[in-house]
Amino acid sequence: MRTRRMLGIVAAISLAALAQASAADKPYDGVTLTLASQNDQFATVMADLAPKFKEATGITVKVDILNYPELLSKVTADFVGHTKGYDLATMDIVWAGQFAEGGYTVELGDWIKRDAAEIKPDDIYPVLMTALGNFKGKQVAFPFAGYANVLAYRTDLYQAAGLKAPETMEDMVANAYKLTNPPNHYGFVANGQKGPAVAQDWMQYNNEMGGSILGADGKPALNSVANIKSLEVYKNLFDKTAPPGAADYDWGGREDAFRQGLAAQMQTWSIGAPGYSDPEKSKVVGKVAITVAPPGKGLPKKYGVGGWGMSINADVDQKHKEAAWLWIKWLTSPAVHKEFNLMGAGSYLRISETHDPELVAKFPFLPVIDEVFKNGDGEYRPRIPQYPQIQDLLGTAVNAVLVGHADPKKALDQAQDEAVKLF
Amino acid sequence: MAISETRGDKSGGRTSGPAVVVHARPWLTYHRRRQGFLVLLGAPALIYVLVIAVWPLARGVGYSFYDYSLLRPGRTAFIGLANYSAFWANEAARNSIETTALFTLAAVTLEFSFGLCLALLLWRDSAFRRACLALLLIPVTVTPIAVGLIFRALLAPDYGLIGYYLAAWGLSSPHGLLGDPATALGTLVIVDAWEWTPFMALILLAGLKSLPTDILEAAEADGATPLQRFRLVILPMLLPAVFLALVLRTMDAFRIFDIIFSTTNGGPADATDVLMIYAVKQGLEFFNIGFASAIANLMIACIAVFSAAFIVLVRRADRRANEL
Repeated sequence: MRTRRMLGIVAAISLAALAQASAADKPYDGVTLTLASQNDQFATVMADLAPKFKEATGITVKVDILNYPELLSKVTADFVGHTKGYDLATMDIVWAGQFAEGGYTVELGDWIKRDAAEIKPDDIYPVLMTALGNFKGKQVAFPFAGYANVLAYRTDLYQAAGLKAPETMEDMVANAYKLTNPPNHYGFVANGQKGPAVAQDWMQYNNEMGGSILGADGKPALNSVANIKSLEVYKNLFDKTAPPGAADYDWGGREDAFRQGLAAQMQTWSIGAPGYSDPEKSKVVGKVAITVAPPGKGLPKKYGVGGWGMSINADVDQKHKEAAWLWIKWLTSPAVHKEFNLMGAGSYLRISETHDPELVAKFPFLPVIDEVFKNGDGEYRPRIPQYPQIQDLLGTAVNAVLVGHADPKKALDQAQDEAVKLF
Repeated sequence: MAISETRGDKSGGRTSGPAVVVHARPWLTYHRRRQGFLVLLGAPALIYVLVIAVWPLARGVGYSFYDYSLLRPGRTAFIGLANYSAFWANEAARNSIETTALFTLAAVTLEFSFGLCLALLLWRDSAFRRACLALLLIPVTVTPIAVGLIFRALLAPDYGLIGYYLAAWGLSSPHGLLGDPATALGTLVIVDAWEWTPFMALILLAGLKSLPTDILEAAEADGATPLQRFRLVILPMLLPAVFLALVLRTMDAFRIFDIIFSTTNGGPADATDVLMIYAVKQGLEFFNIGFASAIANLMIACIAVFSAAFIVLVRRADRRANEL
């Protein structure tokens, strides 16, 4: 009887100790985090990884997948209204200025320093750490999905024409003319649709041709000589080398045109690259190579960088903030982030990833992404609070030029007049 | 004062007629109870309308007098009518009003013309006509955003089933009907008419079916030609239905958004930049809530003026039809 009682006491103590140990291991057990995510490839992968995170920490992560405008309006409404609907939100590279100015998100600088040993910041490309979440020294988001602007080109058409991959923008333009053979295929394709689609693509080419949206003083310089010249080149490319409907293409239209074999080359985000080898989506499987987007002759290597950071809502309680930070650290840890990409997220972050033999074997274009990130420029789309209006002005001006409604100088002069009013 | 008659002698048996007794009227009369009950029944709907419609509307009117940006809520300031004057001073905004008015006028005219023809064709009842009507109503059931996406794919000059041939035969610009500033708005009017003409036809058909047959038969017996019967008899009696159809479609066409958003997003250039696209951009892209509210209020004012004018016309037409 005494022995049985002793055994009972020992069992009770063991159970209590186990429970305490478990509580110590999983201090946020039972916490639920709601994450507002852009509907890019990484979103479903994050949702697939969430159960593993729960297993490790006891924290449930619910991923709310939204399209771009919906994500921006819902997240902004949540932040401004202090409704605490989302604990975490994916943040586009160009939103950093707005988020920082509004003070909507947790400033992560101190936590990054505190947990540096765990995070291994030296393994993260510096351009991503800055561009995907830092605004004037404030770390409003933590990078988790870096995209590289690259040139995708048709190897079969290049070989048939006796051409090699372009090293300068001038080569790329010349090749576009040589590879245009309507209606079979066209030498070039880019976004032309009014709005963010055409504005973002043109800003990329403009940057490579030596143009800039802001002047050295940080004020708009939309109608600079370099910008007008690059818009003339862009307009000629559209008129003479792009599919006729390209003036109305958004990202989907452009990618479709390339995957359906209508265009010989285009600049695009690296996240789309795996899609060219997918026979269900692509008619050009095995005929596409990826290389860096060529800069203008004599201009420094400045490759476009984009992507997403993850931010924590400043309104939620401390426990949720800490739990959200745990999720960010877990997702971006070397092992989990590698798994994330092996599962098809297409979202690179760490130097070790682009050199990982397993990842390189699966995605042979990773050395190109490494080159882009090492020489990356995340500022060619100005990350300032006025960015949405500037993008809209350019989206209207460039589209008007492409459809023959205005000449480059007149269109950019008008946009500049409106842009200066924003500052 | 409630007055009731009582049978019986109340004055020592001397009087013989009925005695009149005056009672104090109870506060909760039947009439008041009934009124209270009706108010109670209507209260949930009233509260719902106040909370869902009137309150946001009032807030919208209030916001329009402020420089209020969601991105800089700390800098909110009362600016009176400055948002309205900024709207008039902005060329893009003025252009959006013109484009909206042009779109509304063209779309409603086209839909009314075709809708009336369809209604007249389907007037006389038969199984074939009933089947036609059912098939004609299919476009109305499709979500406008889906209609936009379908037509965008059909009209694409590179691979669209219609757009490819139009461009190849030189019937559209190489950019396609939606990619050319000269044709984009007209094309969207046709897309809108494809979707909403059957709705117009349905209202007009309901009006035609309710016309008294004896008057029509009398006109026919008096030797009126079909054109005379239509002009002098049918059309005047049909006017209430005509105005109803016009009111509904005008209000709807003025608020056009989905089809344009999913096809041209206001482009090419500013050819299809209608008021709703402009307002949504200001409100949900730039988060200028004060300015977006001012635009929304202007739209409400325009729609209210249309509606009031149409209602006056409907009443007059109704009166005239009753006099016939």
